[in-house]
Amino acid sequence: METLIQAFIFPGLLYVLLWTVGLFWFFRKFMAPLHKRVGPYFNGPAGSYQTLFDLSKLLTKESITPHGVNPYLFSMMPLLAVITAMLPAAFIPWTEHLPVVVTSYGLLALIVLIGIEPFLLFLTGFGSNNKYSFLGGIRVLTQAISMETAFFLAALSPALLFGTMNLSIIVEQSSWLSFLILLPGFLLYFIALLGLLEQPPFNIPDAEQEIVYGFYTEYSGTNYFLLKLAEFAEFMAVFAGAVTLFLGGYKGILFDGYTFLFIKMLLIAVVMMTIRAATPRITLKQMLSFSWRYLVPISLLNVAWIMMAKILFFGGV
Amino acid sequence: MEKIKTLLEQFETEYVEDYKKIWIKTKLSSSNDLLAVAAALKKEGLRSLSTVSPTDFPEREVMELNYFFEDLRTKRNLWLKCDIPRALEQCEIESLTPLFPSASWHEREAYSMFGVRFLNHPDLRPIIVSEDFVGKTPFRKDFDWEKHEKDVTNNIQMIVDAFKNEQANNEINLDSESSETVLNWGPTHPASGPIRLRIHTDGEDVISVDPDIGYVWRALEYLVTKKDFVGAIVAVERLCFMDNINSMVGYSMAVEEIAGTKITPFAKWMRVLLGETARMSSHFMGLGGFFNNLGLHTLFMWNMDIREYFLDFLESYSGARIATAAIEPGGVRYGLDMTMLDELQKALNKFDNGIDDIYTIFVKNPTMKMRSYDVGILSTEEVEIYGLSGIVARGSGVETDIRIDEPYAAYDEVDMKYITQKDGSAYDRFVMLFEELKQSVKIIKQAKKRIEDGVASGEFNPTKDHMVKVPKKLPKGEAISRVEWARGEVLMHLVTEEKAKSPYRLKLRAPSFNHTMMLDHLLKGQTLSDIPLVFCSLYFCQGYLDR
Repeated sequence: METLIQAFIFPGLLYVLLWTVGLFWFFRKFMAPLHKRVGPYFNGPAGSYQTLFDLSKLLTKESITPHGVNPYLFSMMPLLAVITAMLPAAFIPWTEHLPVVVTSYGLLALIVLIGIEPFLLFLTGFGSNNKYSFLGGIRVLTQAISMETAFFLAALSPALLFGTMNLSIIVEQSSWLSFLILLPGFLLYFIALLGLLEQPPFNIPDAEQEIVYGFYTEYSGTNYFLLKLAEFAEFMAVFAGAVTLFLGGYKGILFDGYTFLFIKMLLIAVVMMTIRAATPRITLKQMLSFSWRYLVPISLLNVAWIMMAKILFFGGV
Repeated sequence: MEKIKTLLEQFETEYVEDYKKIWIKTKLSSSNDLLAVAAALKKEGLRSLSTVSPTDFPEREVMELNYFFEDLRTKRNLWLKCDIPRALEQCEIESLTPLFPSASWHEREAYSMFGVRFLNHPDLRPIIVSEDFVGKTPFRKDFDWEKHEKDVTNNIQMIVDAFKNEQANNEINLDSESSETVLNWGPTHPASGPIRLRIHTDGEDVISVDPDIGYVWRALEYLVTKKDFVGAIVAVERLCFMDNINSMVGYSMAVEEIAGTKITPFAKWMRVLLGETARMSSHFMGLGGFFNNLGLHTLFMWNMDIREYFLDFLESYSGARIATAAIEPGGVRYGLDMTMLDELQKALNKFDNGIDDIYTIFVKNPTMKMRSYDVGILSTEEVEIYGLSGIVARGSGVETDIRIDEPYAAYDEVDMKYITQKDGSAYDRFVMLFEELKQSVKIIKQAKKRIEDGVASGEFNPTKDHMVKVPKKLPKGEAISRVEWARGEVLMHLVTEEKAKSPYRLKLRAPSFNHTMMLDHLLKGQTLSDIPLVFCSLYFCQGYLDR
């Protein structure tokens, strides 16, 4: 029974759905004043039903499979993408008692599951039999390879500092001191996160002015809904990962709990949206040179800094 | 000017006469001299060929070709005519494209519309017209439009078949060993608008670009000949909605010249006022569109916010926000209620409040600079030989602006200077748009003050002075008019017959035409990411491209 609740309600399916609907609405409503617009307005309080209606509309629309594609590859990939994106939720310590899967390799599971996602998206582009989708798929892959190196190195820094891959222990041991030590690692993680989640200025794989909608181009109806769900579940996994690894997870000021984790995740979302509203996209070449010339070397330096800090502040244990 | 005249003396001409202040009008006795004359003109410094405009005279069995040569440096212009036989088999003339690259597409247009064959043209394919019009010369006076329209199912089938055939053979025609493919960028693409670029790419690298235009071809040049002189303005303004006022001003000036009407100073100032408002409405879209193509929509939204106030003014004056139909031969269409200027003041205040933010956040944006300072670079040389104009020419440092070179309306009394940038990159063209917005506001303020002073002193009567009657029937004549349209120089060539009720021929020279020609040159060797950036920095309008 408990497993069922965890799989379907929290932190499983229903939670992911609610998160998607809520975050989608929050993105829209937050972007609107930056654009000097109103945003969703008519449906529900402050337009909050709008996303719900949009998603249910997508579910009822015809899901078109184009000619000349492998229908299994084409329709399987969105489903696999959703499942892969939702799995990390099982390893995140949402509260003191709730990582669903208790393991001492939580961090490894997290970064591996986040790392698989781009390859699935590449396969959606590859399987669409469309030049734009294919270019989008190639771009996803290029970007993932360049950004994941920095992402993994940054995500490893708390593990190195605390000497464990157990996410619960990492949260428990975190303090203001460890936060400061991990700050450069957090910044690197955040930049790599923008690249991994295809957010501006790294929204190169679905640059609509260049390659229409990248790997999404041929998708419609339910399949498109699933891909969008995967994207937002991925947001959740990566944000929660950032909070758990660097910002002390569920730890709060007066009491501990899920509320603080949620607020911290929203804060990351707000920063991401603000960057989105103020920064144009860069080109693939600029992204590559940025990643390999600056981001990866600095991540390596950061690892060195963590080792040094461990000896200085934690006595090398 | 004298130099050009002495130069023309070497050739047999029917007449050489001064026309307006900075034009010479001449007609060659024999079309065989054309190439020699053009070569001599190029040597003399008239290096831009503005357009080629054929006029069809079935009674005289003659196709009259009009060439408009311009010198952007010294502002000397030449209007050269010559006759060639009209019959399709003999309707041919030497191409000027090898001498003047800017002629290329204009000659292709004359070939598609009038069936004039240009010998030695490097790439004489039909342009603008869809497959069902190929080889049918739709703008000749004897073309049977009704018969063509009756066969509509077949026509559409032809277009569909041709497109499917092209798509099926795209990759077959290429080298099967290479990784080159053909990418359709448009006509239904988030950033293209109704134009298609056939892009040959190798992965992300662009090998060549071949623009395919004509998706919004409305045959406006033919349409105006079916309307009376006032009714034609609705066709003329539909060239491009973004700045419709200035295209109507150009047309009205040509009609007034043939009719011999002088419009009142009040109407002239109104044309300046409305024209600059429309220019701003276009530039706001251009600025926002530039950032849109970099994937950032914020500036576009902010601009729309300010632009709405300027459209409010247009609405209070003409009743319409976009398609205003506010300029007519003889002046401006409506009288001015002085309270309308309050709307304008509101817009100006809104602009003054918002423009600094736009400058700090967007014009100085480092990411945008990083992307655009080294792409789409046009040299001064290229601007001249390709006949570019407007912000594209001024972005490369060429001082050309019809408002100053050949002042129309009340621009001779307006205090304004050339605004230029140095490097001619996409970034410079973006800054040009921004600087011109500020310039337009300055001009609007001058015009507003002048009108208010004029009304206060009793010099202008805002309810009566706006219009001078232009006769319904015009004498036989011919005129050209040039205006500085938001996106470049517009040249209109109007021909009328005796006791004409409607134009006999109206040639609309689109600046966007020349700018689109540059795409292949600018994008070769760049990557896919640069396409939208260069595309929108050239600031063209698909409506004006196709007409």
